[in-house]
Amino acid sequence: MGRPTAIRTQALSKSFGDTRALVSLSLDVAEGEVIGYLGPNGAGKTTTIRLLLGLIRATSGRAEIFGVDCQAHPVEAHRRVAYVPGEVNLWPSLTGTEALHLLGRIHGYVDVAYRDLLIERFELDPSKKVRAYSKGNRQKLILIAGLMTRADLLLLDEPTSGLDPLKERAFRECVAEAREHGQTVFLSSHILSEVEALCDRIAILRAGRLVEVGTLAEMRHLSALHVEAQMDGSVPPLSGLPGVSAVEVDGSRVSCRVTGSVEPLLAALAGAGVRHLVSREPSLEELFLAHYGSGQAASDAA
Amino acid sequence: MRRREIYDDRRAARAVAVTTARRAGPQGALWGYVFGATIAATAWSYSSSFPTAESRARLADSVEGNAGFAALFGPIRAIDTIAGYTAYKTMFFLVILGAIWGLLAATRLLRGEEDAGRWGLFLSGRTTRGGAAAQAAIGLATALVPLWVLTAVLTAAVGATSKVQIGVGASLCLATSVGAAVAMLMAVGMLVGQLAATRHDANLIGAGVLTGSYLVRMAADSDPSLDWLRWASPLGWIEELRPLTGSHPLAFVPIVVLIAVLTIVAVRVASRRDLGASAFASRDRRAPRTLLLGGQAGLTVRLTRPAFVAWVAALAATGLVFGLVAQAAGAALRGSPGLEQAIARLGGSSAGAVAYLGFVFVFAAGLVAIAVAGQVAAIRNEEAAGLLDNLLVRPVARWRWLAVRLAVGSGLVVVASTLVGLAAWAGAASQHTGVAVGDLFVAGLNVAPPALFVLGIGALVFGFWPRVAIGVTYGLVVWSFFVETIAAVFDSSHWLRDTSPLLHITPAPAADPNWTSAAWLVGLGILAALVGVAAFCRRDLQGA
Repeated sequence: MGRPTAIRTQALSKSFGDTRALVSLSLDVAEGEVIGYLGPNGAGKTTTIRLLLGLIRATSGRAEIFGVDCQAHPVEAHRRVAYVPGEVNLWPSLTGTEALHLLGRIHGYVDVAYRDLLIERFELDPSKKVRAYSKGNRQKLILIAGLMTRADLLLLDEPTSGLDPLKERAFRECVAEAREHGQTVFLSSHILSEVEALCDRIAILRAGRLVEVGTLAEMRHLSALHVEAQMDGSVPPLSGLPGVSAVEVDGSRVSCRVTGSVEPLLAALAGAGVRHLVSREPSLEELFLAHYGSGQAASDAA
Repeated sequence: MRRREIYDDRRAARAVAVTTARRAGPQGALWGYVFGATIAATAWSYSSSFPTAESRARLADSVEGNAGFAALFGPIRAIDTIAGYTAYKTMFFLVILGAIWGLLAATRLLRGEEDAGRWGLFLSGRTTRGGAAAQAAIGLATALVPLWVLTAVLTAAVGATSKVQIGVGASLCLATSVGAAVAMLMAVGMLVGQLAATRHDANLIGAGVLTGSYLVRMAADSDPSLDWLRWASPLGWIEELRPLTGSHPLAFVPIVVLIAVLTIVAVRVASRRDLGASAFASRDRRAPRTLLLGGQAGLTVRLTRPAFVAWVAALAATGLVFGLVAQAAGAALRGSPGLEQAIARLGGSSAGAVAYLGFVFVFAAGLVAIAVAGQVAAIRNEEAAGLLDNLLVRPVARWRWLAVRLAVGSGLVVVASTLVGLAAWAGAASQHTGVAVGDLFVAGLNVAPPALFVLGIGALVFGFWPRVAIGVTYGLVVWSFFVETIAAVFDSSHWLRDTSPLLHITPAPAADPNWTSAAWLVGLGILAALVGVAAFCRRDLQGA
């Protein structure tokens, strides 16, 4: 990658009794990179983040943040980290202003102007007590508390949980600003459109194991292209062509998926007289679902 | 074949009652055991300490008619009998403890569930707001059953021995009296939980009701001409039941009426108000107060300040009362073999006011230990609620967080212990008791070591097994009280006595403090705390 590493895990594993929550995770995240961390419930996303924060102890393996062993020296690592959880528990008797003051002082640095901008952007009323906030407002508060520090690494665990679409858009602006500032963002999320829009790379976790990591383009390159064609006449036989699968014929219309070179398919269609042809790369949702189709789910369960 | 689970309406509709009973029931059983064991130990201890009619008559002569004792602990009736002594010695503490538990259980299982957002889940099922509140009342009433049964059975069991001889009917009456106090405060808790904005506020209002009731009862018992005032206080009604000393069932009427009225009003308020709303205005918005919010240590002080101040004030008041009554109590108990034996067992040899103060300061040591067990509970609750995550994901070392927490707990012990001694001196000096301030200052410090030991054990358990830390710490305190209560049964070298930290201090000012023993307790407490801190630094954070 060439750039210094913000996060490095080597064979990082965590078991809770007989349950293997994370299995031998080896992942590097470069400084300034925005990485999306995907996986269904229970895949090990939050476990990874809690290991990086030193809140839980690794069963084996190693984790570093900016070269600091975050299991052995969490305080040193935390100086350059801001964490935003998806489930917020703050002291109910404090007001929003008091909570931000406290968390900023504990972190050690606050960009005051940026904090005020965030309060305005997220339309938070900081004079209210935490106990009077709705779930969405508590999420805004903890989001502001993390972003206002301008920390070198933002660990975001489903940070837009409970936010309305307008505030979700505001969050995307914040991540874009963080990228411009050279901050590294580790974004665990279920909102695939959010990850697709924001992230340079994507890591996909299944049953505690890292099953895919790369840019969206790389993943698409490795995945099947969806092709639909309207023929002048009848549809030629396509099933035997290399890389072609899932062929569906409806009169003179045909759809299929192609992995690898599209040349054999194009040659076959051109030879039969194609009137109209559309090809589409898979969306992140399709890539994600391809990893978590019913077959995968069954094998995971087994 | 698809399996279906279909519940009929009745089963689905009683989910709140069942859940409430399941959560409160085990605690009711625990308190029933503690209450029953305390009553049994007291009756047994009296029969051993005052074995002859002559010794009992001497005790009665010296205590009966003491207005100070009557005001504090209730009227003294038939104290020359095992039943009368047992009622006098136990009723005050059991009623107050039971009332506090009833209040806290009711606010926790109604308003607390609402604050946590779980009540809404119930209300989305086959029930209504009023229906759920009514079911919770049934659940709480169900939790009273094990309390009542265990108290009655243990009392009847010791009563059946030839040495004690308390009848089954009297045992049932005693258990019912204690249960009635619990039920009344449960009803108070239910209602204030509907009126207040949060469980915290509900507890404060309920505590105010209990305190007011106690003060009215205190005034009524301070002067025979004010007897009528007892009928103005729910705690006075419990006294009027006169368990073990000639039951007075008429007093059940206002108790039953109060419970019924409060429960009905609570259910009606619940059915009419919005979920999460309160009858009293709450201040959800205010100007920021950032004092003590500059870091983790300040935050700890700020969060623990209300409990810290409340405990210090309560213990200082307790010390003041000890001092105020010391002269009279010392005179009344002069020559009492029970007190002299108790002081001798603890290593003292004084008599009169000094002996009385020495004896009650051991009790004060237990109260300080309860206060510090509350600090262990606060430490665990901060982790269980996820609040600790907010600190430990920032540059805050685990050892530092726990060390600050333990330092605050230790500070509470030292401040409260010192003030108990100084307040006792102030009270004693006002009655010209003649006990030196230095002696009572040292006696105050002497009650600190058991509490520091309890704090250390609490930290140790928290470090290794956080989910049981609260139970083990409170359990240690309850056990210490229990062993101290039944210590009369054992000889001074019995190993069981060694398991109670309260029995490892001397009854200062009735005896010189045993600084060696105190140093061992503090040293072991510090060692346990250090091991606990080290273990905490190496384990996973664990939620509720």
